[in-house]
Amino acid sequence: MTIAQRPLSLTVNGHAVGPIDVPEDMMMLDFLHEYLDLTGSRLGCGQGICHACTIILDDPAKGALEMRTCITGAHFFAGKTVRTIEGHAERDASGNVVRLSAVQQAFIEHFAFQCGYCTPGFVTGTTVLMERLRKAPVARADVEQAIEDALAPHICRCTGYVRYYQAVREVILNTPGLVTG
Amino acid sequence: MQTRARRILLGFAAIFAVGALAIFLGLFEHSVVSPATDQPMTSAEMAALVSRGRYLTAAADCAACHNASGGAPWAGGQAFALPFGILYSTNISPDPETGIGGWSRADFQHAMRDGIGKSGRHLFPAMPYVSYRQMSEGDVDAIYAFLMTRQPIHTATPADSFPLPYIRQTMTFWNLVNLPDRGFIADASKSPEWNHGRYLVDALGHCGECHTPRDITMGMIASRYLRGAVIEDVDAPDITLAGLARLGFDRDSLVQFMRAGLGPQGVMTFSMHDVVQHSTRYLTQADAEAMAAYLIGNPPAQTVQPAALTSQADGDMTAGRTTYVAVCAGCHGVDGEGIPHIAPAMRTNATLRLPTAHNLLLVLTQGLPEHAFPDGEHFQAMPGFSNLLSAQQIADLVTYLRKSWGGQPRL
Repeated sequence: MTIAQRPLSLTVNGHAVGPIDVPEDMMMLDFLHEYLDLTGSRLGCGQGICHACTIILDDPAKGALEMRTCITGAHFFAGKTVRTIEGHAERDASGNVVRLSAVQQAFIEHFAFQCGYCTPGFVTGTTVLMERLRKAPVARADVEQAIEDALAPHICRCTGYVRYYQAVREVILNTPGLVTG
Repeated sequence: MQTRARRILLGFAAIFAVGALAIFLGLFEHSVVSPATDQPMTSAEMAALVSRGRYLTAAADCAACHNASGGAPWAGGQAFALPFGILYSTNISPDPETGIGGWSRADFQHAMRDGIGKSGRHLFPAMPYVSYRQMSEGDVDAIYAFLMTRQPIHTATPADSFPLPYIRQTMTFWNLVNLPDRGFIADASKSPEWNHGRYLVDALGHCGECHTPRDITMGMIASRYLRGAVIEDVDAPDITLAGLARLGFDRDSLVQFMRAGLGPQGVMTFSMHDVVQHSTRYLTQADAEAMAAYLIGNPPAQTVQPAALTSQADGDMTAGRTTYVAVCAGCHGVDGEGIPHIAPAMRTNATLRLPTAHNLLLVLTQGLPEHAFPDGEHFQAMPGFSNLLSAQQIADLVTYLRKSWGGQPRL
């Protein structure tokens, strides 16, 4: 039996990818792992619950959206622009990491994770939240609620969320323009 | 001549006014409650009825309205937005001041079966007394006995926001048109099980209150009994034999669907999920079988297996299939097989077989919350896709789903 394939082109972490022949029903997570060797996004539950597999879809109209790659087909992203966990840190010309993103740095400083399996999803979720706050800042009193609302779908089994949420609050409050009042 | 014509007109007007006044005062109202209920039950009689009353209270789904979300049990307070104001479900806990603690057996009987509460205060037909009118006197007694054993909750029912204080009394006109003369009448030509099933469907389950369309007076249209209606902006399906067969139900799967809330046809959604949680999950196997025997027939009728409509001349199936594989197949399966206990199969899903795409569009655009079902079953939340898909993509997806697995033509 041959698996039906279709060419796929998209932009990943600023680089044009494809066209590559990809099975029609392949999930995005498998495409990232098996075709692009971008293995940072994690397969957790495989049914869209744990959010360890999320990446950012940069929608021209709506801005950054969180997408669960374990339940979204690779071809959904045809022609679109995405950021995976590998695209957050600054890199030099040869691709070496020179500086972590503020979110990644805050997670390390707060000892926010232990096993780290959920961390790519939390980095993604927090980054999307911060980009949303840049466009629509919230009042200082509403920051904690905004964090809870944005990160509640992300499941972590080690640190009980407290250190994650503390790190996110700190990086939001230390970043100008995200909070009013 | 002019004087005579005026007299005749005045005469007719007077007769009309007297007639209207007589209706307004309830002189044409007819009770189905027997005088025997004026005699209170003894405490021993009451105690003997409590267990059955608990079951019947579930079968009649009293909790649907009288247990407000977050409220105390049986204390009412659930708001219903009606065209002319907000109505609140009443406190039916046995609190003497704010509940029904001061109600006699007869008061309760008249409320349930005549739509007239204590002191002659008319109920609004949001309370399904048109259906409960068919309940037997003994069953109403049992519900009364059960409710009187509940914890009294001292919570006044909020006053309705209707503009006119005497609007309740105008229910006499509504009752004249819409309230049947008599209660349940068994059909001697049918089996006891069939009759029991009809009693459970019509009287206790009050299924017609949602599944039978209503006329301009908001009365149920008898000629379109159980043929499906729109309620709370959702299509309540046709649950006649033809309607259920088209959705893929036979007798046994309907029994399972009522008691478990799920089956090959999918999962109970919208307000029927609450009905399962409060009511039909508690039905005995025998009672659920009687309801199915009445609705579907016994032995089971043939279900309709819709053939896929494969005309692809306009190409819309390809577009819909692409969207299905992209954002649906991860949970519902590439071939619509679903994930057991997590996401329902599409191949046999009843929503795809409905005559209109209305419910399917609601689910696709708004999503569904995660739902718990009896026996520890738990189906996960479905996201809405209005943010991610264009209107055209959703339309193509609906066409693909309904054509492939619902036997329905394009949107």
